[in-house]
Amino acid sequence: MSMYQNGEVDPAVKALEARQDEIMRKLYELKAAVEGLAKTVTTPDADLDLTVSSSLSSQSFSSTTLKGTTDLDTLLGKDQGALRDIVVNANPAQPPLTLLVLHSLLSQRYRVLSTVHVHSSVSNVPPQLLSCLGPRHADSYARHMFQLGFTLIWKDVPKLEMKFSIQNMCPIKGEASVARFLFKLLAPYPSDPALATLVDSWVDTAFFQLAEGSAKERATVLRALNSALGRNPWLAGPEFSLADIACYCCVLQSGSMSSAPTNVQRWLKSCENLGHFGPAKLLLQ
Amino acid sequence: SMALNLTINTSNVPLGALLAAEHVKGSVQLSVEEGKDTRLQVSEYFNDANSISRYLARVAPALGLYGANMMEQTEVDHWLEFSARRLCGQPGLTEALGELDLALSLRTFLVGHALTLADLSVWAALKGHEEWPSQGKSFSHVNRWFSFLSSQVPFTSVGNKYTSKKS
Repeated sequence: MSMYQNGEVDPAVKALEARQDEIMRKLYELKAAVEGLAKTVTTPDADLDLTVSSSLSSQSFSSTTLKGTTDLDTLLGKDQGALRDIVVNANPAQPPLTLLVLHSLLSQRYRVLSTVHVHSSVSNVPPQLLSCLGPRHADSYARHMFQLGFTLIWKDVPKLEMKFSIQNMCPIKGEASVARFLFKLLAPYPSDPALATLVDSWVDTAFFQLAEGSAKERATVLRALNSALGRNPWLAGPEFSLADIACYCCVLQSGSMSSAPTNVQRWLKSCENLGHFGPAKLLLQ
Repeated sequence: SMALNLTINTSNVPLGALLAAEHVKGSVQLSVEEGKDTRLQVSEYFNDANSISRYLARVAPALGLYGANMMEQTEVDHWLEFSARRLCGQPGLTEALGELDLALSLRTFLVGHALTLADLSVWAALKGHEEWPSQGKSFSHVNRWFSFLSSQVPFTSVGNKYTSKKS
């Protein structure tokens, strides 16, 4: 029996070939998954990874804290097969505390492949900066098992920058803009325009007046924080938001923790009770 | 819905916010008046140009002034900070213009394929910058983009009315 009739491929053969391709694809996926599993069992880091991931999931920052569900395909467009990698260049002289908090939250929501590198432009990066994203995964870890890559590069940059989807997006400079981007991967901004803008306004205040301002400016912001926190449990109302993350980290960075007024003290504790602020706090010690 | 009221300080005109106000006027009820301090009264009030612009873009979402998706929003945020921090009376204008020129080399608008807050705020910062006219010639892409916007309403009207007042 001939497989070819008048130079055409028999449809039955075509179907068989398609099935075989599909089986091969599934086998390939299985093989990759098994290799990944084997790594977690056989490498010395595996126990460490397990300990950390279980300690993260046991933290009290529940999904109810951030309202609304987010889906990476909806937010960022369809996955083209390559790992979506967020690359951040940061200066070790100004560790981006908010990004560490957001990284911790992202790791709880998504399977994040986190890596820290040191660029040749800097030397003597302290060990706590090298381990600030948690223990390092083995290099051969299959990238396709992750939803998001988070690559932090300590580099002598004047201003923090993020590169993501470089064909479509310009490099994003400044911790505030990067923090807004990362937070939107976790929870949508409030749908009310005034509340959403209030969040952004606190983020600007945190980075430009608390973190970089004079002692007088800082004191003014602390008073404004105190008065806002007298009306609401969180800075932008009843919901925890990026405003809280940015202001917490900038109060911490500016060394105003102990001198903060009453409502601010209470709110600082509430933030800490959520977990996720630990890595930022450790880094400044 | 409630009418919005934007008060502007004429001795330090928030050109970017004013441009945003002109753009959303057809979509929301908004009045602009001159006063001692710049502020947009909402439930709270916003008194810095970037917050006012963000709010106005959000109350008129159909105009797409805050970009068409999350990645464009992030680029808009980047340029809002760029205009406030790198172009408004800061040293190092030449370096900032170099970055801007590179970003505009393959683009008609700063973000996506339509006008956004990024264009408004960066255009406004340059328009109000004393050194821009003399530096303009060295940055051909910025110059092309700047002239293109300058020839359109409301850039012409806002520009004529308030930059002459400033000097």
